[in-house]
Amino acid sequence: MKYPAGGERSAPDQAHYQLLLAAGLKLLTGESDVRQAIGKSIPRGVVGLKTNCLSPRLTHTPIALTDALAELLVAAGFAENDIVVWERTNRELKRAGYRLNASSFGRRCLGTDTNQIGYSSQHYNFEDVNSRVSRILTQMVDSNINLPVLKDHSIAGLSGGLKNMFGAIHNPNKYHDYNCNPFAAQVNNLKPIRMKNRLTIMDAFRVQYHGGPGLKEEYINYYGGLIIAADPVAADRVGLEILEHLRQRNNLPSLAKTGRPVNYLKSAEQTGLGVADLKKIDLVMRMVEKDGKQQEGKLF
Amino acid sequence: MERRLFLKCLGCGTALSALPAADLLPGFLGGLQNASAFDFADELSEVEARYYRKLPEGGIECAICPRRCRITDLERGYCGTRENRGDIYYTLVYGLPCSVNIDPIEKKPLFHFYPGTTAFSLATAGCNVNCKFCQNWEISQTRPEQTNNIKLPPQKIIDFCKEHKVPTIAYTYSEPIVFYEYMYDTAKLGRAESIKSVMITGGYIEKEPLADLLNQLHAVKVDLKAIREDYYKKTVDGELKPVLEALVQIKKSGCWLEIVYLVVPTLNDSDAEFTELVRWVKANLGTDTPVHFTRFHPQYLLRHLPPTPQQTLERAHAIGCAEGLEYVYLGNIPGHPAESTYCPGCGKVLIRRRGYRISQYNLQGNLCPYCQRTIPGIF
Repeated sequence: MKYPAGGERSAPDQAHYQLLLAAGLKLLTGESDVRQAIGKSIPRGVVGLKTNCLSPRLTHTPIALTDALAELLVAAGFAENDIVVWERTNRELKRAGYRLNASSFGRRCLGTDTNQIGYSSQHYNFEDVNSRVSRILTQMVDSNINLPVLKDHSIAGLSGGLKNMFGAIHNPNKYHDYNCNPFAAQVNNLKPIRMKNRLTIMDAFRVQYHGGPGLKEEYINYYGGLIIAADPVAADRVGLEILEHLRQRNNLPSLAKTGRPVNYLKSAEQTGLGVADLKKIDLVMRMVEKDGKQQEGKLF
Repeated sequence: MERRLFLKCLGCGTALSALPAADLLPGFLGGLQNASAFDFADELSEVEARYYRKLPEGGIECAICPRRCRITDLERGYCGTRENRGDIYYTLVYGLPCSVNIDPIEKKPLFHFYPGTTAFSLATAGCNVNCKFCQNWEISQTRPEQTNNIKLPPQKIIDFCKEHKVPTIAYTYSEPIVFYEYMYDTAKLGRAESIKSVMITGGYIEKEPLADLLNQLHAVKVDLKAIREDYYKKTVDGELKPVLEALVQIKKSGCWLEIVYLVVPTLNDSDAEFTELVRWVKANLGTDTPVHFTRFHPQYLLRHLPPTPQQTLERAHAIGCAEGLEYVYLGNIPGHPAESTYCPGCGKVLIRRRGYRISQYNLQGNLCPYCQRTIPGIF
């Protein structure tokens, strides 16, 4: 989904995000009503919204996006307290401007390091990966929506949805060798992650195309998009296309030429997690106007 | 009270292990005397790390271990304890151990280093390898924000050791290399106060930091996990070659060195490997370097394997002795005769052990009382 930038280059507000989300979810599910679209995508129960708050500003999951999605979920019948916005640590959430709430009232927002949460005592395995998984994912929520931010990553090449789930395990530092390949694929195959992730909604408004994942403002371009997918690999593959396009536009070599090929997408496809071949992805582009009107869009 | 844990006094085997948050119940420890209190830490440390370089293209390269992690802003190295913040590299665990204990020195094991004494033993979270058999994986394979850490700056450790007459500090349990700065500063302070420092390590460290550290240490025990590179790759997620180089460097430095080889059934327990190992030790470190073959117990990712059969360990012991090593021990088999130290000259018992306890001590200084042979070590 793309949103016309107009004269401003800032990210949209909550209302605008809601327009994009509603349009995207309806397109994804074929439903005419966003509430039904959500009902079709997310099972009843407690739903997690996994943010990416590594960066203290600009390139973290926007609060406006999280608020917009939560509002749609409530409209679709989810109780406020059954929505759990989460990240690795409370510190990261707070630093990004989120208001923590681990209580039984209102929308919850908490890090895995919250007292009495932590990581599963059980280790989950998939091939080379052996990790404990956030108990927010294993015990607190029934399903999860992944809310990554599209950006460059100094090791992985691409930081998108698959990479964002490194924030769900207790030992992500062990899995960065070889450009995170095949580890990013394997982490997303850990049972609680694979079973509970239902949607990827990747923010691609302000895209840091180089120097990530830490914030480098000089490498941020406005793209103005939101990638919504049920297939986590396809979402990343489209994100990669955008990232490479922005790199090219800024006279930077491709990720592969900088020694950071994003091979973990192919590995993910081989495990059956999703589709990594752009030609096989059913890509629907829409430009959504401020009044909600839509028109066919283009990737670039 | 909830964020404070009291060590009321000291005694062998009393322990605080600050396990991951959900598992920890702060409380009193038994068998202790003189009150002393440690506060839990709410934040990680932000002390600049040593041994790293800034990369021209941005980011830093860690130079503490041969892994040489390249780390961009807000990312951490493989060990999970060191983080790049604005291209300044920080240790997050300085003065923040998650496990503290008073152990017999025999538990390290160090058999030729002040036998029968105790060591104030400590560890922070994190490790620079990932051994599938790790017995302390709950702290070693964890990031420091996932453990409950206590505030224990170097000076406080020294004061504690002086007050309670603990002669040695052991940096142990996880991998001390990942809390290098904390270990170094504590050892340096301790040296000035005549408190010894010993490092219990996998030996996966770069030459320069090791050389500097050896100036502060009195003994090192290295876990030589195998003598084959493929074992290091598959079971340890590390490399053998730098470990062998570190062993030689430690020996040459004059710092006391002992080696442990954990015998894991089917993975590193062949006669050929035992022979290769002891021949390497003999050729590169000398026959007077103690080698401990220790028994594996199913742990962490190798729970499907059985404990090491005693016969396998005895085979390793026999090979070590036959190849000419003078001090070959067996570990984790309490009561076995090969736990004791024998004089290579006359064969008499010098130190009789059962588990971590010494039941007979016959050494006179460094000398065998029966044949006057000098026994290597620090006694």
